[in-house]
Amino acid sequence: MISTKTVATEIHDDLASRWYVPAEVESLRKLYPIVVLINFVSLGIFVLRNDSESIFSSSMQIVVSIVILFLLSKLDQGQRFIRDGVIAISGLTILLSVLQFSSGPQIIIDYWMMLWTTIPPLLVIYSVSKPIVTLWASGNQTVRSAELGLFRNRKVSRIHGMIFRHIALLHAVGFVVLPILWIIDVAVSPGNSLGGDFFDAMTLEHFNHILSSESFWIWTRNSIIVSVGTTLLGLALAIPAGYAFSRFKFRGRDFAMFSFLLVQMFPGVIILVPYFLVMKALGLLNTSIGLILAYSVTALPLCVWMLKGFFDTVPKELEEAALVDGCNQNQVFWRIILPLSLPAVAVTALFSFLAAWNEFLLALTFNTSEEMYTLPVGLASLISSTGQAWGDFAAASLLVSLPVVVLFIAFQRFLIEGLSAGGVKG
Amino acid sequence: MNRVFLIAIFSFLLLLPISHASEVTSLESDGDVGYRQVGLMWSTDIPSEEGTIFEVWISNETIIEISNATKHSLVRVGNVSNLLQPGIGEWYDDCQYSIGDENWNPVYRELDGTAVIPPGAIGVNCTLSGISSGLEIHIAVLSINPSGGSILSSSISSSSTSSDEEIIVIETSPYIFAIGSIALSIFILLFVLRWMDYREGRTTSRFAHLYIAPAILALSVLTFYPVLYGIWLSFTNADQSHLGDQSIIGFDNFITVISTSGFLRVTGFTLVWSVVNVVAHIGFGLLLAIALNSNDLRGRSAYRTALLLPWAIPSYISVLVWRGLYEPTGALNDFLGTDLNLLADPNGAKIVVILVNIWLGIPFMMMSISGALQALPKDMYEAAEVDGISNFSRFRYLTLPNLKSALVPLSLLGFIWTFNMFNVIYLMTDGGPNLDFDGPGSTDILITYVYDVAFRDGAYGVAAAWSVVIFLMLVVFSWTYMKKTNATEAVT
Repeated sequence: MISTKTVATEIHDDLASRWYVPAEVESLRKLYPIVVLINFVSLGIFVLRNDSESIFSSSMQIVVSIVILFLLSKLDQGQRFIRDGVIAISGLTILLSVLQFSSGPQIIIDYWMMLWTTIPPLLVIYSVSKPIVTLWASGNQTVRSAELGLFRNRKVSRIHGMIFRHIALLHAVGFVVLPILWIIDVAVSPGNSLGGDFFDAMTLEHFNHILSSESFWIWTRNSIIVSVGTTLLGLALAIPAGYAFSRFKFRGRDFAMFSFLLVQMFPGVIILVPYFLVMKALGLLNTSIGLILAYSVTALPLCVWMLKGFFDTVPKELEEAALVDGCNQNQVFWRIILPLSLPAVAVTALFSFLAAWNEFLLALTFNTSEEMYTLPVGLASLISSTGQAWGDFAAASLLVSLPVVVLFIAFQRFLIEGLSAGGVKG
Repeated sequence: MNRVFLIAIFSFLLLLPISHASEVTSLESDGDVGYRQVGLMWSTDIPSEEGTIFEVWISNETIIEISNATKHSLVRVGNVSNLLQPGIGEWYDDCQYSIGDENWNPVYRELDGTAVIPPGAIGVNCTLSGISSGLEIHIAVLSINPSGGSILSSSISSSSTSSDEEIIVIETSPYIFAIGSIALSIFILLFVLRWMDYREGRTTSRFAHLYIAPAILALSVLTFYPVLYGIWLSFTNADQSHLGDQSIIGFDNFITVISTSGFLRVTGFTLVWSVVNVVAHIGFGLLLAIALNSNDLRGRSAYRTALLLPWAIPSYISVLVWRGLYEPTGALNDFLGTDLNLLADPNGAKIVVILVNIWLGIPFMMMSISGALQALPKDMYEAAEVDGISNFSRFRYLTLPNLKSALVPLSLLGFIWTFNMFNVIYLMTDGGPNLDFDGPGSTDILITYVYDVAFRDGAYGVAAAWSVVIFLMLVVFSWTYMKKTNATEAVT
């Protein structure tokens, strides 16, 4: 503390004002590298389009943005002419982009590029011509105003940080949502066309078709049988094991837990071929039982670890009290522990249900006859090489994923907690 | 008047042969006669005359006119001298004819395989090959007379029900024996352990071994046993055609693996695929986790929910949706205003599959890193802010080093998962474009190639050897990675 104070008093007031850079300028310096990057992306798109006129204007944009970036980094106190130059060049940039986008095809990505070539220079003009920046750039500011500015910077830069966050998140959301919007559009568009404007023509024909097709219901039935079976068998195996690992010290415990972890880290590939052959030999190919067995064992280690984690949080005193009151070990487990950990069991059940519902590779390998397809393999078969029923596929995939997505989002906190308990900590 | 009469007579004469033409009267099918084959038998009302052609038409609906059917084959009535007459079973689709008596003779064949029967034949019994199994088909015979008129017979239905798969009888007893002995030995082991516990006086764990027995049993039978079996398989010559009587052939399979053309190429692409994906997952995941990691961010939970979608949607659906986007007619070209066919271009396809997998994997990393970020001590950042440390330095010197203990296992886990990510490549490109017959395609990674080796070529032994090689690669990589990161951790 003392040393800081002495340093602070030694700093000349003049120096303190030299430190000060308005938050607007700081933020623009962070923004402009991104602008340059996005201009390069636009240039790439124009190169792919083979549109020589736009390639030229986009290259100009890049040059101009780099100049602005350079000037912004040079902008300092007493550099009034640089400030004027920045404003002038930003005006030029806006002019360029208006020229570029006044003609030519107006498609979604063009609007995005237009926003990225017009708004940053507008921001530059707006912020750099603010009185506080003008004062700073002209070099006429007093120590007092610099102090005020430093105080103000904290608030302003926090707001700017939020705006940056929103921009980044909005772009990520756009990237995530665009394919989903598109598949909704394909599902409600007539025919099997993949392109076209969003939601230009609406029809429910694909939904009708898929809901009245026999195979969709067969696949759904198979998937439900397999997923429910997996959940039940998986829980029946995992609950006692998780409980034993959580509560008892016994010989071979550490080795058994280690072997569960080992399986968790095992790549599935090494098992696929022998798995297939064993199932083939036992006559379990093209049956639901084969898949149920395979899935419940694949999910078993994670389920056991998840449940062990949950059981660990149930206080041991409860059990001890029950034992004193004359319950035996089995009764303690069934009457006390299990009812208390029902939420955890539900999450584990949901996890194994989702895993079985979405699994593709084993279902593809084991169940090759069409009557035994589960939904993943069935939906993939809609887009085979023989016929690409994109509309039906889109409708079916919306129907299949909607309940799954709702469940996942509703229980996201618990699922993610459980997964990280099993996957990352271990 | 006279002329009209003449024309009428002439036309009558023209029509005459049609009414006298041989018409197919009884058409029957005896269904399934072999692999993708159905039998077909017909007879004509009068002995067929030279020049008549019988065409067999098939369709998946009742044939009323031939416009909605496809021509399967034809039988010609003609001069049979100088033609081959292959015996029954010598030609790939048998066809016999009868001239009214009970004798069936093999038909004659032209050089291109067309069946020819001599004039006077009244019955034909053929095997139609190449019929999809399990589907009902409708068959009709069109008889075309030498004069040009034609008559379509009534349509009948038939189907080939025999399975597409060759039936191989596998001896199940070794498997049952192996599984049984595993089960037995585990029970004995558990009993011995329990007895040892009991002797030491640990009575509280009376039920512990009983509780873990089912899980241990399932794991041993369905995971450890297949793994060991797979390792054994990699030293045998097991394949689709002789399964069950495979013999040990030493390291031949491993030599096959290493000498596969494109072994280095597919391994290299798998490494590029895994490393690029993991770096992008962690990079973007970190970026988004930091962006989300603020309590006064408006709409935080809405953002998080939207960003979780790629994880929540079943991955096979997302991958197929992306495939549709990248189709030449798909929406990507509409969005960008371009005219690309990335999936048909080897390098484009590589970029595309990587992009799709990046899209899929970010939410998991984002959420995991979010959890780790929230566990970081807040006062550390408060102190940094008081000291006026810039945002970037805070990230570089506070966040990153503290996240390291979470990032190292996460990146390793991500690497193993990506290394074995089957769905994306199988559903996007199926290894293509440029699929070779004896090597991996241009977007194949190791696991998709192993799938091809095992289930397209049916070379189970070689596929098992590939699996072992992949597993060893992963072990070596993970071990070195853990070693390296631990070493740097000790330094800092």
